[in-house]
Amino acid sequence: MIAVLGLVVGVVAGLLVRPEVPAVVEPYLPIAVVAALDAVFGGLRAMLDGIFDDKVFVVSFLSNVVVAALIVFLGDKLGVGAQLSTGVVVVLGIRIFSNAAAIRRHVFRA
Amino acid sequence: MSDKDETPDNGLRRELPKEVAAEVAAEVAAEAAAPTGAAPEESPQLTGRQRLAKGLWPPRVTRAQLIVAVLLFGLGFGLAVQVASNSDSDSALRGARQEDLVRILDELDDRTQRLEDEKQGLETQRDELENSSDQAEEARKQTVEKEKQLGILAGTVAAQGPGITMTIGDTKGTVEADMLLDAIQELRAAGAEAIQVNGVRVVAGTYLADSDKTVSVDGNKINAPYRFKVIGKPQDLEPALNIPGGVVQTLEKEQATVTVEQSDKIVVDALRAAKRPDYARSSSQ
Repeated sequence: MIAVLGLVVGVVAGLLVRPEVPAVVEPYLPIAVVAALDAVFGGLRAMLDGIFDDKVFVVSFLSNVVVAALIVFLGDKLGVGAQLSTGVVVVLGIRIFSNAAAIRRHVFRA
Repeated sequence: MSDKDETPDNGLRRELPKEVAAEVAAEVAAEAAAPTGAAPEESPQLTGRQRLAKGLWPPRVTRAQLIVAVLLFGLGFGLAVQVASNSDSDSALRGARQEDLVRILDELDDRTQRLEDEKQGLETQRDELENSSDQAEEARKQTVEKEKQLGILAGTVAAQGPGITMTIGDTKGTVEADMLLDAIQELRAAGAEAIQVNGVRVVAGTYLADSDKTVSVDGNKINAPYRFKVIGKPQDLEPALNIPGGVVQTLEKEQATVTVEQSDKIVVDALRAAKRPDYARSSSQ
């Protein structure tokens, strides 16, 4: 419950504060958000499976974000930033879908 | 596959994301330590739905919940910021990559170039139109001016200016058309610009003829005294009439009386309708 509250408060704060995104972070923020979403879905699924662990969640969340940003950064440096970030989004999207399917089976039993 | 959801140890495990595999190891460690998280407390008989409901309500302040809340706060914040900055119209280009920006810039340059060309074309057209309308205006003015000048010659407009008035009194009836014609010729030779005789405008096609005791000008009979109104330079016109053996002397020899008066303002207001020639056509076109 508190976790859900945290998400809601985060969204509200982001909308209210509307901070200028620093130019350095700008290209990585969307990818980082998608990676974090993937971690959250994974964590939700783990919770439903009864194997949730906060330490694992924290590590996976942070590493997801960092690795995604790193890949985009590397891609930018190599000159294939657009393609690599597309690839990252595709992979993360597939994972989010498979996690969502598992969650769906738990919640709706279908 | 759908019938195996409930049991964690099944084939699904292979498809799980990496953190799930890691979580199993972590779970073992967590179970060895004090059970603080929500998951280790659950009995294996609970379904996923029950675990979800338990996690949601009643709200419990546990370490796991707090940590997840902090991370989710970060996620929500980032999400909202990204969405907000993406939906800002002015920063729509911000998230664009370099090559996209270059392409957009190129397109804008092309577009600017096209619009610039179009603008130049339109300006040229406008200038041409302005010039031509100026020229048309000028031509119209000149036409009006010329019409006035030609109208004076053709007798279609009234004219005024310095000149002389010559009155020929003919009590004996001796003045004939050729004498008047001589007078007109003399006046023209002296630079007369507009002439009228007793209310008849003298133009290029004017003819004079005798008709029993009087004279007809262009078919209009006129009687003595013959009054000439002439516009021209008075200092030229009067001597031209008065030269020895000239018009005045010839007329006086015929017992006619001639008076010539100079004037600063002579009005020649006898008019003549503009007549379109039946046969003669301009050959300049």
